[in-house]
Amino acid sequence: MTKKVEYWVKIPFGPIHPGLEEPEKFILTLDGERIVSVDVKLGYNLRGIQWIAMRRNYVQIMYLAERICGICSFSHNHTYVRAVEEMAGIEVPERAEYIRVIIGELERIHSHLLNLGVVGHDIGYDTVLHLTWLAREKVMDVLEAITGNRVNYSMMTIGGVRRDIEEKHKRLLLEMIKYYREVLPQIEDVFLHDSTIEARLRDSAIIPRKLAIEMGAVGPTGRGSGVKDDARWSERLGVYPDLGIKPVMPEDVTGEKARGDIYDRMAVRIGELWQSLELIEHALDQMPEGKIKTFPKDNVLVAKLKILGDGEGIGRYEAPRGELVHYVKGKKGRDGPVRWKMREPTFPNIFAIAKGLEGNQLADVVVGIASIDPCLSCTDRVAVIKDGKKFILTEKDLLRLSIKKTREINPDIKGDPTPAGVGCSRGVLL
Amino acid sequence: MKLIYAILGLVALYIYVSIMSLLFAGIDRKLVARMQRRIGPPILQPFYDFLKLVSKETIIPNTANFMFRAAPLLMLATTIALLAYTPLGFAPIFATKGDIIVFIYLLTLADFFLVVGVMSSGSPYGRIGASREVAMLVSREPAMMLGVFTVMWGISKLGVQKPFSLSSLYEHNIWELGPMAWVAGAILIYVFMAWLASEIEAGFFNIPEAEQEIAEGTLVEYSGRYLAIIKLAESMKEFIAASLVVAVLFPWQLDMPGIQGYIANLLIHTLKVFIVLFVAKTIFRTVTGRLKISQAVNLLWTRVFAASVIGALILAMGVSL
Repeated sequence: MTKKVEYWVKIPFGPIHPGLEEPEKFILTLDGERIVSVDVKLGYNLRGIQWIAMRRNYVQIMYLAERICGICSFSHNHTYVRAVEEMAGIEVPERAEYIRVIIGELERIHSHLLNLGVVGHDIGYDTVLHLTWLAREKVMDVLEAITGNRVNYSMMTIGGVRRDIEEKHKRLLLEMIKYYREVLPQIEDVFLHDSTIEARLRDSAIIPRKLAIEMGAVGPTGRGSGVKDDARWSERLGVYPDLGIKPVMPEDVTGEKARGDIYDRMAVRIGELWQSLELIEHALDQMPEGKIKTFPKDNVLVAKLKILGDGEGIGRYEAPRGELVHYVKGKKGRDGPVRWKMREPTFPNIFAIAKGLEGNQLADVVVGIASIDPCLSCTDRVAVIKDGKKFILTEKDLLRLSIKKTREINPDIKGDPTPAGVGCSRGVLL
Repeated sequence: MKLIYAILGLVALYIYVSIMSLLFAGIDRKLVARMQRRIGPPILQPFYDFLKLVSKETIIPNTANFMFRAAPLLMLATTIALLAYTPLGFAPIFATKGDIIVFIYLLTLADFFLVVGVMSSGSPYGRIGASREVAMLVSREPAMMLGVFTVMWGISKLGVQKPFSLSSLYEHNIWELGPMAWVAGAILIYVFMAWLASEIEAGFFNIPEAEQEIAEGTLVEYSGRYLAIIKLAESMKEFIAASLVVAVLFPWQLDMPGIQGYIANLLIHTLKVFIVLFVAKTIFRTVTGRLKISQAVNLLWTRVFAASVIGALILAMGVSL
């Protein structure tokens, strides 16, 4: 009797790979085409955002929060603003809350359409990519018309929003909703009934409900696995309960029980596109008149926050990818927070999908990872491997290295590079 | 003297087919782009790509052995040799009795050299691509072979000069074998189109060279001149595979003597090849995505091969009755 020999091979997948949108690394252990295990290596996208934030005041951090990620820039800003508002106890005018809903849902539409296209591209179905992204242009145009930018809208401010939605914007929004009511059935048809999509997405990269709860999967990933959770619904966030928010589950879209595969995750996204259109429509109907921000000027806001900003605040919001949490800790008399930390939805989701990919084929890796819509621009440390030893670079090391590099490039540089504040406490602890 | 003319003819065909196959690659890209509501590259883009690749630096991995460098050249050589046995609107230059076997061998040998070259590169992605290529190779060929052999057997019953030669396809064709053969022909059109799509790795079957999954798989380590040679050989192979389909299923030609006859028939043949490739490649890859390798192998055996068996049986019954 011969013993069965298994030839396992480890291959690196990333950090630079044509199938991945952002630098991230997976070590795949393969048995032929079958995946034995997936090891996630994060930390290729460090920008030291928390460290930068320690040297900014509350208003300046809003711009920084927006630049954590290009796709969910509004979500980060929104969540940060909510955390600060909770900490300082600032009331937000009702009209501002409605405008926040509208911009948030517009962002959700563009993010979901983007992800649908990416998944189409990852299974080699480029026609889906080009047609969904063509449909996405409409919402980008509307966002540009309302906010002035296609990304990084700068709509939020602490205690309200910066720009009002006027009559002409309302007309544009209604026109956009009409356009999507014509286009979305086609996209829905492709993702629910096309044979290629069904063959590739059905029953692959399954995250069972139990695993989703264990790993804390959030957003469309969690809902696709049958976890009924939506921060807008469970937190009764802002004016969302008045608009009739309800988590979109796969059975609402496909009519079948959630299986937790890629297909279900995509079905949830399709359902949320329809839901977002409805939410925008209701918000436009119910939006009351009134002022849009509590503090008319930013310098007033900075001064007020110096007094009011004390204690802790937690902001939660359902970003297109899942629940986003920002934590802000303030101290009386300080311009900025002493601690600002965000938990991105990709973090739990990526470990859930890594577990869910085990036992699947290599072909499922890229599309499985794309199906959670990863956004890895989280703050992270950098790992350097030198002479077989691994060093973790903290923010301080990075600062030292960047000062060294700057001196190298430009020896005549003027200015004092030593940090003004205490720096992020994490660097000290490590 | 005859041999010299044959070799000159082969060289002329090589130049003609390489230009035409690259031209079709350009037309294909433009048409796909228009179907996807894009503008797309200029039609001559594959020529520019080829010229650019030839002038680029060629990187050889440290882990590669000499087969890595030999494989692209062997692949191109095989493809040129294949041209001598390809029906291009007229009987192949070196047509002999039973040359269909040489044709099939050379067609698979070209893929085989690519697999050998990529296995010698030492890249894990390349190896995965190579194993996928081999799995596809053994699954797609039986259906085509069964179809071709049955058609040729049916034609040989009508009395031809060289039985089981690709030249016999121009003496009689499948549609002359009676009503049962028409049914079989309709089934064989499906079989041959599916085979052609898997041969040129379009749409469903773009698995060994999956860009997003394994970073172009079989081509991952090739660059510069070698990549240019492989691209040229692959695109010629596309033309040749489509030529087989045209010759077996749609072989109607003008009956013209002399050199004008050859040229006219070659042009008509090229047009037919473009139409066949337009269906099997351009449209097919626009309306489908990539399957998993297990699904593709399953499809080729349970659908395409089964259809081929049924078609062959119907054709055999039609001929013997």
